[in-house]
Parts: sequence; structure tokens; C-alpha cells
Amino acid sequence: MGDLLYQTAVRAFFRKEGRVKYISHLDLVRCVSRALKRSGLPVWHTLGFNPHIYTTFALPLALGYESRCESMDFRLVEDRPMEEVQERLNEVLPSGIQVYQAKPPKMKPESIAWADYDIVMEVDSLSGEGLLEKFQEWLSQPQLITMKRGKKGEKAIDLKPHLQVWNLQANPSQLRMTMRTAAGTTLNINPTLALDAFALQGGEKADWLSVTRTAILTKELEPFE
Amino acid sequence: MENVQKALERVLLQVQRPARYTGGELGSIVKDPSQVQVRFAFCFPDLYEVGMSHLGMKILYALQNAREDCWCERVFAPGPDLEGLMREHHIPLYGLESFDPIADFDIIGFTLQYEMSFTAILNMLDLAGLPVRSSQREALAPIVVAGGPCACNPEPLADFIDLFLLGEGEELNMDLIDLYKACKQEGVSKKEFLRRAAQIPGVYVPSLYEVTYHQDGTIQQVLPRDGAPAVVHKRIVKDLDKVFYPENFVVPFTEAVHDRAMVEVLRGCIRGCRFCQAGFIYRPFREKKPDTVDKNAHALCDHTGYDEVSLTSLSTSDFSGLEPLLEKMLTWTEPDGVSIALPSLRVDNFSKELMDRVAAVRKSSLTFAPEAGTQRMRDVINKNVTEEEVLRTCRTAFEGGYTNVKLYFMIGLPTETDEDVAGIIHLAQKVVEEFYHTPNRPKGRGVNVTVSVACFVPKPFTPFEFEPQDGIESLRRKQKILLETVKSKKISVKYHDSPTSFLEAALARGDRKMCAMIEHAWRQGSKLDGWSDYFSMERWEEAAQACGIDLGFYANRSRSYDEVMPWDHLDYGVSKAFLIRENQKAHSDAATPNCRQHCSGCGANHLLGGACFG
Repeated sequence: MGDLLYQTAVRAFFRKEGRVKYISHLDLVRCVSRALKRSGLPVWHTLGFNPHIYTTFALPLALGYESRCESMDFRLVEDRPMEEVQERLNEVLPSGIQVYQAKPPKMKPESIAWADYDIVMEVDSLSGEGLLEKFQEWLSQPQLITMKRGKKGEKAIDLKPHLQVWNLQANPSQLRMTMRTAAGTTLNINPTLALDAFALQGGEKADWLSVTRTAILTKELEPFE
Repeated sequence: MENVQKALERVLLQVQRPARYTGGELGSIVKDPSQVQVRFAFCFPDLYEVGMSHLGMKILYALQNAREDCWCERVFAPGPDLEGLMREHHIPLYGLESFDPIADFDIIGFTLQYEMSFTAILNMLDLAGLPVRSSQREALAPIVVAGGPCACNPEPLADFIDLFLLGEGEELNMDLIDLYKACKQEGVSKKEFLRRAAQIPGVYVPSLYEVTYHQDGTIQQVLPRDGAPAVVHKRIVKDLDKVFYPENFVVPFTEAVHDRAMVEVLRGCIRGCRFCQAGFIYRPFREKKPDTVDKNAHALCDHTGYDEVSLTSLSTSDFSGLEPLLEKMLTWTEPDGVSIALPSLRVDNFSKELMDRVAAVRKSSLTFAPEAGTQRMRDVINKNVTEEEVLRTCRTAFEGGYTNVKLYFMIGLPTETDEDVAGIIHLAQKVVEEFYHTPNRPKGRGVNVTVSVACFVPKPFTPFEFEPQDGIESLRRKQKILLETVKSKKISVKYHDSPTSFLEAALARGDRKMCAMIEHAWRQGSKLDGWSDYFSMERWEEAAQACGIDLGFYANRSRSYDEVMPWDHLDYGVSKAFLIRENQKAHSDAATPNCRQHCSGCGANHLLGGACFG
């Protein structure tokens, strides 16, 4: 079990869609590690007194978000074709979590700098157009100051340099947009932080919200691999 | 579906741990509704994390879904945060698999695990948009049924539930679904369905029985109508090696109280502890073969990915095939990294070998249940363990590296004196001393003995069903004696709240007159009474007063042997004559040998059609 050195590192890229968006990151970790066990793949266990399957996730996803670009790393003690790894995982994962690619990791998680999100929001008291207008007004301010909670308590931060928005569209009841925010270990801006700031600063709180992560990018805007 | 799901999406991020409300777990079963004839909502009247730990639900879920004509879904009580939002946004209670409102299902089934969940049943029916009283639900569908241990005295719920399922559910539920399907196709009325259902052995239809009372409030007689049987006999499965056992569980995303594979090794109990309802209502004693258990466990671990499997029963160390079973299991559990848990160990057959095999990884704490502090008291309750056995077991545990021992006791037992109460602490003190007398004890660490003391609740179908419960004042005084007797910092005392036990005692032996009170308490806001945060004794007292119910009449009154009990027309195998004999023996401090040593003629073997052993 835990006494073997590993042979191959694997980075599995997966989607998290539908009702599984409500499972927290911690629950996802447990779910994936059970799936790895069920898959029968020769996964590497941590060394030590209480060996367990080693997994690590590059950029945890917030509760309630969907994603088309999640990734997790684990290790194998014997080589296996990557197609087989992908197939065997998909046989045992719950519906909504689907691996679309498995390959050896190319980049370090520290290289992550940006993430893109598709956002759809509804505010019952406003039409899509009305919401769009308010949002554009908020976004056009020279600074977007808000409070961000960190390890050392709350502090004020200007979101402006860490946030870009495009594809802003209104339909009769909804506002849609794509938002790119700073991501990674040093500074991680969640779209919810921006939307909360909007709600507090003359905007509205969403009555219904859908957020889907569509890309994780490096500083050079290359996809994280 | 779209409606409930989208409505939920608007509120789910405002509640604690939303993954409890969205289903989709591995092992959950989704079917095409147009391809099934019977939709069954299996309701656990408590929160998801509690209900998902329950083995019975896992068995019946898998069994019903194995039928092509039936789709069984899970339903739990929402937390107060979600409940508020559901009411505000008019979201009806739904099945976790389909998100369809359960009001549109064919059968709604509740499991009755503890009395304190009764109001949750009413609340769930109401959240579903259904009237709580069966008489106000006129259509055939949804029919509301209930089973589980508290169905042995279902009278306090008689006005709300259409029919009760007595005993083990594997065969009984299949019979019920068959009958329902036939009646649905035939288009019969609810009344006619219930009349026919009452003919299925094990089905109790309370509306077909008329209860009359004496002036003093006790029952005069219970009369069946429309051909319903005078006595309803509980159902059992005779051969446990042939009974259905799931190869897969729904594996929760979010942690449940018991989140692991579970395999049942036996049903019933040979011990006959006189306070223990489970020890009597699950008789006769039946075991699985080690091979069967091993196969069940292996399949479950492979399919679920669990790394812990628990061998469950009322007393797993009484399983005659334990040694060969553990040997078989170790051949695959060790290489697969699966640990075996053995709950319900007894102090009189706990060995070093056994200890070494349990939870080899983390040595946190061991729990034993001497139940009473003095030998006399243990004889009264027929807990056949001696002080020497308790101390020897603790020594074994200390030698094995444990420094925390948890001991379970009860106070308020019949014939109990202050000396018996203080005896609990004296026994704990001896355990502390035993630690320091153990030469190869863990060095450099002190010992912790946790004494957990519950208030005794007399239950139907036990030899103590005739006994009064100790009053709240007396119980509080005894709790004080416990605290005052403690002379060591190494002993910590924990006790349960006495008002909860008082209400539990009243409900456990309640009759139909209590239905109105339960409805009243629920309407005033009682709904998750098992959780101390949401329990209010004042609300219940007010409900009792409003409905003219004296809770003390049910909890604190001594019954004569010839009184008609509210559950006397239900047969759980053990005869009333046996319970009376055992009660008399209790009052003369006499113990009864266990079933393997000597058959005491409880009567449960009639259900097997022969002797339990040999």
C-alpha cells in the first residue's frame, strides 16, 4: 500500500455540472477519492501511519458554481494508458462529474493567474435591460472598492485591476456576461465577491444566479494544463 | 420537476450544506416515471445526515428499486432554514431522485425509529401539501404507511397514518406494493384498499379498530371491524441467508452520522435485558452464515468505495460465526485498506484478539454499557455482566493502549435506590483504579472515564412495560447524587435531559387520545423534537393541557398485569405471560439466563415454527 513509490502522475480534467454543483469542495475530495478506490486503478497512497489516496486540486471551486474545466492530480504506482484512466474513472463517478481528459501534469498550480466564468443572473424586480444598465453603471467606476475577507480579517480591495467583463447581454428577464477574475494562490477573486459589491453599491442582489467556470488560465493567458 | 428544481436553485445557497437536498449521489436510482406503476416516497422523519445512516432504508430502497414496476425515492426532513424558505416560496416536499412533489406519489412510507420524530411526520405531510389526518385524505393515492420499531405501539399516530407495517419489511413491503398496484389498476377506493390490506399478515389498519375506554382512562377493549384480524402478527424473514441484501448503497456526498458500509450479521438478541425494547421486538434470534456476511460486505465495499465496514446487530459479539467471519474478511480487507468496525460489543466476551482487530488504526475510545452500578440492579434489569467482567475488560483495553473508556448507564430503573445510583460512580472509580493497577498501561498518559447516564424509559413489549417512569424531580435528584459522588477529575459525568425522557415515556406507551395532542404540539411549532435546539417542553405541556391529556398518566403510572395495553392487539412474538414472568423475576432480583444457555419460553419461536437453536 503506502510503501510504494509512485510511477506516474496524472492530472484529470473534469466537468462539474448540474445538481453536483451543490457539493462542497471537501465533499468533492471525499467523493473523488472513493471513486478512485472503486475504479480499481493502481492509485498511490500517502505514506505514513494512516495511508490514504493522494489527491490534490489546482483551484477549488466555490459551492454552487458549475465548471467545465476542473482538474485534480493523483498518482499511479503502475503505468496505465491515459485513455484507460479516463474511462475507468467515468465508470465510477456520479453523474454530473465527468472526466474529459487525463494526462501528465504540465504546469504547476502556482502558474494559475486567471479564471473565466459565464454568469447568468435574474433579479425579479428588474428586466434584463434594467439590470444591464445598473451593472454597466457600477462597472464603469474608476475604482471598485469592496471588503474582502482574508486570513487576517477583512480589508478593502480595489477589484478593478483584477476583473474584466465582456459579452454583456440582456434578454427579457436575465443578464448574461463573461467575467475574468484573478485566480490562484496569491490572490483569488470570486465572481460572487464582485456581484456582492454590485448589490451593495447601488445594484441588486440576484434572485437566481448561475455561474460556470469555463477556463483556468496562466499569466500568459494559456489554458492551465 | 423543472419547477421544484429551479425554485430550489433560488434558495439553496442560503441554507446550510445544500448537498443534503439535491440527491444525485452515487448509487441513487433514477427511473423513467412513465415506465413504473408505483412511486414510493421513503420518508425518514429527521435530517438527511441522520436518515442516511439508517440501514433499514438502504435495504428497502434497494429492494423496491429492484422491482421494475416500482420507483422508490428518499425524502428527509429539511432543516429549519430550508423549511422556512420552502414555505415562503411554496416549494412542496419532493423526492430527492426526481425532484417531483411527493403528494403525487402512490405510497408515502415513514420509518418510525424514535418517538421524538412523530411531529416531524406531521410536518413532512404538511410540507408535502397533504392533510395530516388520514380521514381528510380521501383519494387512494398517496396512501401513507409507516413501519419500524415504534410501529409496535403505533396508537399515538393512529389518526395520521393509513396503515402500519409490523415487523421486518422485506416481504411485507412487496406484498403491500403488489396489492396497491392491483387496486390502482382496478380503480378501487381508499376504503376498499385498506380493507383488503388488513388481510395481509403484518398490516395494521388503525381505522378498522374501535377503541373503548374505562372511566379511569385505561382501555376497555379494542374491536376490529370489516373483517380485520383481532390480533395482527408481526412479519419476520425466516432465513437470513436467503433474504435480499443490497450490493450497493447510496453514498452521500456530505457526511452522514454513520458514513460507511454496514452489514447485518444477525437479527434478534439472546440476552433479554429487561429494559431493552429492541431485544424483545426483534426476536426470534436468527444469524447469517459467515459466508453470506462476507459476500455482502465484499460486494458493498467494492461498489461503494467505503474503506470501513461495520458488522451490525444488537450484539455483534454474540454472533457465533464471528471468528471464521473475521478470518475470511481479513483476506480482502487488509489488501484493500478496509477497516472493520464492531459496534455493540459486550464486556463479558471482549477479548484481546477482538480488540486488536477492531479499528486497528486509531485508538481513541472504547465504549461499554454496564447499564447499572450495582450487581443487584444489574440482576433486576437482567444485564448479566459482573463487576469483575467490567474491570477485566477495561484492563484489556488499557493494556491495548486505550486511555479513554466510555461507560453507559441508566438511572430511574425499577426498584432503584440511592445506593444503586451512587454505585455507578463507585464502579467508574474502580475502573480508574484498575488503570493504575495495570502494570503495562500506556505510560505518560492519564485515564479518562466518561460516565454517560440516560434516564430509563419504560417501553412496550418489555418486562418493564408495566413500570412507572421515575418522576422528573426524582431523576434530577439522582443526577445530583451522581455529581456529588464523583471524587475524581478522571471521571466525567454526562446525562440526558429528563423532560425529553418524560415525553418519550408518555408517547411510547400512549394511546389514540394522544393524536390530538401531537397535532396540537406540531401546530404550535414542534417538529424536530429529537434536537435539543428545537425541543420545547413548555409547548408539549401546553398541548397536553389543551387536549386534556395528563402526561403523567402515561409516563409515571404503574400498570397492573391485567390492564389492556394500547398495543395488546399487536403480536410481536413475545407473549404477555412471558413479560409478566420476567417482571416478577425483576422484582425478586433474579436474573434469567440467555437464550443459548436456556430457552425461557418467550414465545417468539412460534414465528419460526420451531426452536431458535439446534
